[in-house]
Amino acid sequence: MNSLRARFSTNETLAGWTFALPALIGIAVFLILPIAFTFWISFTDWNGLSPPEQAEYVGMQNYRDLLTDPGVQRIDFATGIRNNLYYVLGVVPAQTTIAFALAVIVNQKFLRGRGFFRTAYYFPSITSSIAISIVFLFLFQRSGVINRLISVLLPGDVRLNWLDNADGIIHNILGWVGVDSAPAALADNDFMGLSLWQWLSGPSVTLFSIMILVTWTTIGTMMLIFLAGLQNIPPDVEEAGVVDGTSALQRFWYITVPLMKSPLFFVLTIGLISTWQVFDQIFVISSGGPQKTTLTPAFLVYREGFRNFSMGRATAIAFLLFLLIIVLTIIQRRIIKPERA
Amino acid sequence: MQIRTPQRRRARIAALAGSIALLAAACGGSDFDDGDDAADDGAEPTGEAPAEGVELTLMGWSSSPAEDDALNAIISSYNEQSENTVQFNPVPEYDTALQAALAGGTPPDVIYIDSNRLPDLVEAGALAPAEGNVEDDGDFYESLRNTFTYDGTFWCPPKDFSTLALVYNVDMFEEAGLEPPTTWEDLAAAAEALTDGDRVGLAIAPEYPRWGVFMFQAGGAVTNEDVTEMAIDSDANREALGYLEELYANGYAATPTDLDAGWAGEAFGQQRAAMTIEGNWIVGAMNNDFPDVNWAVAELPAGPAGQGTFVFTVCYGVPSASQNPEAAWDLVNYLVSPDSLIEFTGQFPVMPGRESLAGDWTDAHPELGPFLSGADYARPFQFVPGFQAVVDTLNDGIQGIAAGNRDVDEVIRQVDEAGQAELGG
Amino acid sequence: MTVPMQQTPGPDAARRVAGLAPDTRTPTRADERGQPGWYRIGKRLLGYAVLVFFAAMFILPFAMALANSFKSRAEVAASPLTLIPDEPTLRAYEAMTQTAIPRWTLNSIIVTIMVTLGRLFLDSLAGYALSRLDFPGRRAIFALVVGVLAIPPIVLAIPRYLILGQLGMLDTYGGLILPLAVDAFGIFLMKTFFDSIPREMEEAARIDGASIFQTYWRIILPLAAPGLIALTILSFQASWNEFLHPLIAAPSNPDLRTLPVGLATLRGFGGENLDFPLLLGASLLITIPVAIIFFTFQRYFVQGVAASGVKG
Repeated sequence: MNSLRARFSTNETLAGWTFALPALIGIAVFLILPIAFTFWISFTDWNGLSPPEQAEYVGMQNYRDLLTDPGVQRIDFATGIRNNLYYVLGVVPAQTTIAFALAVIVNQKFLRGRGFFRTAYYFPSITSSIAISIVFLFLFQRSGVINRLISVLLPGDVRLNWLDNADGIIHNILGWVGVDSAPAALADNDFMGLSLWQWLSGPSVTLFSIMILVTWTTIGTMMLIFLAGLQNIPPDVEEAGVVDGTSALQRFWYITVPLMKSPLFFVLTIGLISTWQVFDQIFVISSGGPQKTTLTPAFLVYREGFRNFSMGRATAIAFLLFLLIIVLTIIQRRIIKPERA
Repeated sequence: MQIRTPQRRRARIAALAGSIALLAAACGGSDFDDGDDAADDGAEPTGEAPAEGVELTLMGWSSSPAEDDALNAIISSYNEQSENTVQFNPVPEYDTALQAALAGGTPPDVIYIDSNRLPDLVEAGALAPAEGNVEDDGDFYESLRNTFTYDGTFWCPPKDFSTLALVYNVDMFEEAGLEPPTTWEDLAAAAEALTDGDRVGLAIAPEYPRWGVFMFQAGGAVTNEDVTEMAIDSDANREALGYLEELYANGYAATPTDLDAGWAGEAFGQQRAAMTIEGNWIVGAMNNDFPDVNWAVAELPAGPAGQGTFVFTVCYGVPSASQNPEAAWDLVNYLVSPDSLIEFTGQFPVMPGRESLAGDWTDAHPELGPFLSGADYARPFQFVPGFQAVVDTLNDGIQGIAAGNRDVDEVIRQVDEAGQAELGG
Repeated sequence: MTVPMQQTPGPDAARRVAGLAPDTRTPTRADERGQPGWYRIGKRLLGYAVLVFFAAMFILPFAMALANSFKSRAEVAASPLTLIPDEPTLRAYEAMTQTAIPRWTLNSIIVTIMVTLGRLFLDSLAGYALSRLDFPGRRAIFALVVGVLAIPPIVLAIPRYLILGQLGMLDTYGGLILPLAVDAFGIFLMKTFFDSIPREMEEAARIDGASIFQTYWRIILPLAAPGLIALTILSFQASWNEFLHPLIAAPSNPDLRTLPVGLATLRGFGGENLDFPLLLGASLLITIPVAIIFFTFQRYFVQGVAASGVKG
């Protein structure tokens, strides 16, 4: 075999590079070069209107505006981080647990029509995010389907303006127990320009609606990944458990879940990475409003770059977001690698 | 459409709303007295069409099919009489498109420029000056000319303009035995009297391009006239914002989304509101979508400091990188010639920027007079580059005041801080 | 119309890529052994209840959209809940013919097909090289591919726009297509796939004197058909639904708008257009092509997703 390989090796070098070259050029031009470009622009005040070479070098100014210098930019960035943090904390656990539960149920052999249900659950995942956002826009209208359904199920006429309501959910809940305004300790201390009370607002009702939308859309994909994992578990492992006389619940916790560690971590990490990039739904539904409660770093990149003519700042936000996602990816790889070996 | 500062979608909802496109701005409070600039009339006409025809592109946005039709009619007559041919290219996400077009180095020959965007474009060196290229530019309202003058240079002639006025439902007013309000007290009383069940007295979008008129009427403003210092922290602004806060808190005023509408004009057309504050663009929307509603226009009620409104305007600009500057100015001159303006604004009831045409316009639209009267005291929606973030902060505050979850002092303080950082730095 | 995976296992190679164990399961009731009858029935009822509840959650919004697209605007406002319109009307669909939807559809089809072909070509070639050919730099290239997998699209939005501007490709089909045709995940997927194909056959071909390209073209590609189909479907879905890139790559030419971008603009410049029958009808139309492909090639979709799930 070795001699055979040796004979082909010159050939293979040429062929290997020839085969890989088109893709490599593409990657260089549309992935590597753009990243380098982003990095450079983020140190300039380029407005996007004049040729980029006329942009002035401003050092770390864009980053300082976002992270340390008091002002609107820092408040907007902090608000974006806060909103996205709540978004991640809501969407990732919800999509993971519901998808896992559905995968376990869909994998039960004693149920019929599983193919149908799997298809039904996965269907939203393949549809356009824009189309789905429009459908939700319709469902969540003030006199729309959701409010009418709630009004049927609960006493009273619910007319919640889901998609234009800036009230933070945690603030609302605190309001119910009588905490209407910020305790001094929270109002007077701030981090990146937002008071601790503002950090603790929770997602606004509007953001919450978008979280429901995204969870709804992504469950199908996550479920399929879990399903693939579940089907990877050799049946004899569970059979062994049955023979040992353990209960179904015990088998689930002590046999199934540990074997599902790898898909579980995978779903969690892709969930984490994708939720930090939410854009389409916000573009269609709320454009960052009301009262900045659906502003996210990804939407800020678009707003600053393409609407406010501040490409320098927009690329700085993009770069910070990139760093965040890289860190999350490294964590993902660290956790998953040993499992796969 | 106006105010395409899309991050403020709410703003746009109302602004762009529906139907027209006009926009923003005319000159801050200055009188529309004309006169001294008559000398400019003598500026040399330029824009001789070259012997060889060129293909020109006019890039803008579309506010409604009605406006597109009116504009296209004028463009076809230009194409007939000129060597050149023009194509109108309306795009959504206009700022993005414009940015791409300019940064790409081969921009369209003529572009729409919102008064609010002019400073950014001038600072970027993207525009060719209009001075000496536009015929009879002394005839434009001085306030509009000032709006499109930046750094001492006149950059582009106004396409048309609109002002905000009070639009009210005549039947509802008659039923309640009310006259159109002329003061804040009357307005509040009418809004209260006309609020009934699902219907509110007044529908206004929660955004500076609407609420700002109350600040003017109270004698306030966001900045001084030169936009060099913040002026938001004033009792006048507090009074204006407080007045609106109360209207919303009592349920006499509501936002469009509260009324299941995409913009205030739609809520008004669906008779979910007895009054709204909108601009000329509402005319087309009412005629097309709600022909059965009996409505009329009045000047905005006066506040403690008198009358005040916004003027929104857009101009035709020629990019400095235009490949065919002569042909481009030839087109611009045709578009803003008196004949074209009369034809355009006759079909589509925005107002011509030429003072000499005021009479023609009033004759064509006698029922819309209050929009034109507003021009006497209207102010533009225009700040300086980078100020958008401050306007956004104000809009967020306004949304909060309308929703009842922020108080006026807090909003004023936040806007002031944001503005100080922007202007002071 | 649905094809349960267990009954129609894909070729072994596909199952391996998908991370699925060889399908050795026989239907067994082992887990139900020894349980009382009422318990079994109760468990089933509960299982079906959950399944049906979620199915309703996932299907009803689409059904509502369909029903309301056939109502008048007034009826939508008055009774959005009904699934059968009182007075069905085709107004929304007629209104759509007044929009640029046909043009957007054409653009979407062009872009989707070209992107998909581009990915098949680039990814299978590069995947083959990385999987089978031993050449200096291979490891570095593979590391690069894995590295760029992590770059999020939103971060690329502005610089891609800049690069396209520099290349003069803004507002061109090329600008819409090329950046999307470059896809590190596809290379990764194809490499994994080729790794799962036994080497013996191609080595035999090579000894018989076939060139590397002939081997790739005649021997390997046919064997990799399931992987190519999975890649086709994934990239069809992704490029058909892509929103951010076409929004930014063709900003000033409305004739180059794709369906998702067009759909977003149907709401009006400020989102003021709430003509829901029209918007909902258009949203459903955009869904139909993916739905057809999905129902036809479901099993490959599932493999593709499962493969992405094991890529680690």
